[in-house]
Amino acid sequence: MLSYILKRLGIGVFTIWFIATATFTAMHMVPGDPLSNERGTNEIIRANLERQYGLDKPVFQQYLLYMGNMLKGDFGIAFSEENRSVNDIIREHFPVSATLGLLSLLFATAGGVLWGALAALYRNRLPDAVLMFLVILGISVPSFVFAALSQLLILNLNQWAGRSILPVAGWGDFRSMLVPALVLGMSTMAFMTRLMRSSMLEVANTDYIRTARAKGLSPTRIFFRHQLRNAILPVITVLGPAIAIITTGGFVVESVFAIPGLGRYFVQAVAQLDYTVIMGTTVFFGAFLVLVVIAVDILYGFIDPRIRLGAV
Amino acid sequence: MSLNTPEFSASDFAPAPNLVAAERIVRPSLSYWQDAWLRLKKNRRALCSLYIVIALLLFTLLGPVIWRQDPALQDLDAISQGPTLGTRAIVVEDPGNWEGVRGEPAPLPPGGTLGAPTLRVEGIATTQYVRLVWSMVPGAQQYLIYRNDHAPESDQDLGLPLGTTLSPDELSFEDRLQLRPQRYWYTVIASDGVEEAAEHTTIEVSPQRAITVSQARERELDDTVGATVDLPAHPFGTDYLGRDLLARLMEGARVSLFIGIVAPLLFVLVGVIYGGISGYFGGNVDIVMMRVADFVIALPFLLFMILFRISFGIGPGESGIFPMLLALVLLRWPDTARLVRGQVLQLRGEAYVQAARVLGAQPGYLIFRHLLPNTMGPILVTLTFAIPMAIFTEAFLSFIGMGVSPPTPSWGSMSNEGIRTMLSSPHELLFPSIFISVTVLAFNMLGDGLRDALDSRMRSRE
Amino acid sequence: MSSSEYALEVDRLAVSFDTYGGVVQAVRDVSFKLRKGRTLAIVGESGCGKSVTMQSIMGLIPMPPGRITQGSARLNGDELLGISQKALNAIRGNRVGMIFQDPMSSLNPTMTIGRQIAETLVVHRGLSTSAARKEVLELLRLVQIPEAEKRIDQYPFEFSGGMLQRVMIAMAIACKPEVLIADEPTTALDVTIQAQILNLLKDLQERYGLSIILITHDLGVVARMAHDVAVMYAGQVVEAGSVDDIFYRSAHPYTLGLRAAMPSNDPEKRTLRIIPGSPPDLFAPPPGCAFAARCPHAMRLCHEHAPPLYGTGHIARCWLHHPQAPESPVRGNIATLTEPAC
Repeated sequence: MLSYILKRLGIGVFTIWFIATATFTAMHMVPGDPLSNERGTNEIIRANLERQYGLDKPVFQQYLLYMGNMLKGDFGIAFSEENRSVNDIIREHFPVSATLGLLSLLFATAGGVLWGALAALYRNRLPDAVLMFLVILGISVPSFVFAALSQLLILNLNQWAGRSILPVAGWGDFRSMLVPALVLGMSTMAFMTRLMRSSMLEVANTDYIRTARAKGLSPTRIFFRHQLRNAILPVITVLGPAIAIITTGGFVVESVFAIPGLGRYFVQAVAQLDYTVIMGTTVFFGAFLVLVVIAVDILYGFIDPRIRLGAV
Repeated sequence: MSLNTPEFSASDFAPAPNLVAAERIVRPSLSYWQDAWLRLKKNRRALCSLYIVIALLLFTLLGPVIWRQDPALQDLDAISQGPTLGTRAIVVEDPGNWEGVRGEPAPLPPGGTLGAPTLRVEGIATTQYVRLVWSMVPGAQQYLIYRNDHAPESDQDLGLPLGTTLSPDELSFEDRLQLRPQRYWYTVIASDGVEEAAEHTTIEVSPQRAITVSQARERELDDTVGATVDLPAHPFGTDYLGRDLLARLMEGARVSLFIGIVAPLLFVLVGVIYGGISGYFGGNVDIVMMRVADFVIALPFLLFMILFRISFGIGPGESGIFPMLLALVLLRWPDTARLVRGQVLQLRGEAYVQAARVLGAQPGYLIFRHLLPNTMGPILVTLTFAIPMAIFTEAFLSFIGMGVSPPTPSWGSMSNEGIRTMLSSPHELLFPSIFISVTVLAFNMLGDGLRDALDSRMRSRE
Repeated sequence: MSSSEYALEVDRLAVSFDTYGGVVQAVRDVSFKLRKGRTLAIVGESGCGKSVTMQSIMGLIPMPPGRITQGSARLNGDELLGISQKALNAIRGNRVGMIFQDPMSSLNPTMTIGRQIAETLVVHRGLSTSAARKEVLELLRLVQIPEAEKRIDQYPFEFSGGMLQRVMIAMAIACKPEVLIADEPTTALDVTIQAQILNLLKDLQERYGLSIILITHDLGVVARMAHDVAVMYAGQVVEAGSVDDIFYRSAHPYTLGLRAAMPSNDPEKRTLRIIPGSPPDLFAPPPGCAFAARCPHAMRLCHEHAPPLYGTGHIARCWLHHPQAPESPVRGNIATLTEPAC
């Protein structure tokens, strides 16, 4: 298990390096440069800025500088906001995104497991049909539509109640997190429901469930002790990709709901072509996702004895 | 039952072994694709999706031939209109040449208070302009004009402040602010410059749809004042610039479906070639090639879509379709490559491939004759699922403003524009997002059906 | 004969499955009796309904689509068919133990084998976890699993197939059942392991007087284990009797075919004999004898009339025992009513 973790971490570090390099390369292919926008008017100021940001050096040297700083955990200074380092921006905005993401992941997983198990339990009957229809909707409707619709819904709800039950946008207390987190987790919940359903049905047909029945266990005991636990395993394996989807999905949801998360900041930075913020955020998100996937795999290992004990 | 029933004759006991009939093959044999097609046809949901996909393609390709409205034509008089099936309008004089009504102001009688004017509409109220005229109120220095879309319930509920007259002798106001053919409540309040009158007058006005003489001339319609003309229908309404939404949806479909279909075709092709080579040669070639694929998979997809989209840039006048296509291909090929590699590795060990190799078949022949045709099923399923993914990606990027650049419409950018006017005219968001959802839905269900159809065949082959 | 002589009596059982293609009559009018402390082997080729018979008695076939259309099954006098789920659960794993063909897939991969065995004891005998654990250790030693203390906390994937089948047996006999149903217990194992498992079963039978129903398609296993045999074909029992009856006095052409198809050590008989053809379509069973189409001795009436059961004790469902039937290799191998009954 330990060697497995070390190996995964080793590949992970390499992957993060690859992400950083790819980001650097992509950003250096940008036609024009970030200084040509607003502040590069005066030649002297421009030269000073270039020196400050290291843009006057050869590309390879810039790359080394960039990687060196990155190793120290320094992502540089934002172009668009003076005296604000990318680290500060990440430190300020990422916790918001993380809270939102975690909450929606919680919604998605709990909902997916619950609905999927229910659908499997009522297979080919009405609740199953209804749930599967909702799943298809959840997968096919883009998140910005969900976001817009839920805002409309909140508006009407507040109007109907005559007071503000839920805020339409913004960030603060739990009430303001509720709907954005649900919207953000919607497609993931749909995917997980579908996965959980098929996983439950697959497990229900296995020989070991037949054995459990032959042992005279009650249906409830079989459901909880044998079926559920084995059916959840595949759901855990998709947690990694799910977190990736939720993280990037956050761009849209944060923008629509005006939530001051890193995703919204990233979208703004993209619009302003803010070199360092884009690079820093991309590498940060990339590294975060790589580590999360590794963490999920290790977690999976602890839950599935076959992997924990090195059988696979 | 009695055991030794004697009712049988001796001929009943004549030997009649019947060994041939037992070996009868009942079902005719079907080819892989025939069988898959039969299964797909039985799947009602998948078949339905197939029809939807065909309908969408017809909509995209034939739509503009039938629906001949210019998607780029802006009509500032029909901004954010709801769906209409053709409207009629009367032709009215151009605005701006109305001088208004003036009257000599009178001083406030001692001890008196400001009263309310009597209010009327000059001429007919139209969506081009509503001309309000009122009586002079003694002591008034100016008049405040409000417009509301419902009957005011209190003094605070007068609606939109349209303006204030500049001098005490002005006794009229011309409202030209985004009028629609609906009911309005206009209120005029007199003011002495410091305080407003306690009383005011409200009238209800229903403007008629109208175009001006010069607009009528521009569109080559009857340009005599008072004539009634037919305006173009907007079955899906218009957007915030008054462009016909149906025409734009067709134009947008071309962009969205082009990216949605061409990009997957390209990256699946790249994946097939890459995976085929990797799986066929195996060994170190395979290890190196798959490591590279692993790294590309590890890139956070949407982040790099945005990054590539920025770095490829969009020149002036370009739509931005090509950079998106390129970015999708660059980032999405490894999934297919992995799948094909796995399949090829497995097939390579099969006896018939070994046999072909022993008989001296060249690698190219083996790959294209034996290996790829047998992986076509999974590849097709991958392709079908890649299409909704690409459509989603386009919509996502366009939504955050990183997709196609205006004025090129795509369903995603139309949704983005629609979300701003969501409260006042929800159809602008609704229609493009319905198109995205239905398309994604159809391709997803078609993919499900295809997988089931091809899978069960695979299972029965085992 | 009093019923106390039998551990399990199945009488005229019929099971069908409702499928999209129609109703499959998987088990048609099956009767047999299991003597106490003995082994009854149910033999037949795949798809003949032998597993379905036992699984339907234990309520293990999915219903729907499965349906028990008639018959009864009595465990020491207690009816098993049509009783409540709860009553059935009190019998399964407690009074009847079952082991299955593939031990690798028949155990929950994410639960230690100790807990899986203990579960039976906890549910049926109300033992505490620690008491159950002690019992499980005993059971593991009983089925000859070495290092039981270590093995008890291991997961199924850490065991070999043979060891897992021992675990399955331990689980099945944990509550000292009256009947043990072994559904192809050795099919998935290699030959040397097969012998060990069969010896273990035999040993347990001698020690505890277990009554065993052994479902198999392997006549070698039958010869080694069984006291009584029921041969099934196309959902029916076509011949039943003692193991000697079946092997030395086969009374049905199908049994003859099975015996001929057994691999032999005799160098004179090197070619493997087969029974030509394949079993009939159970969507629409033929009106006559199900085996007629493949039977080398078939007569005209075989194709039109379903044969009755001939004989007592050793019975066979074949027209060749009719007094008017011509001479055949099976003739005279059972006591028909034309001869004095035993």
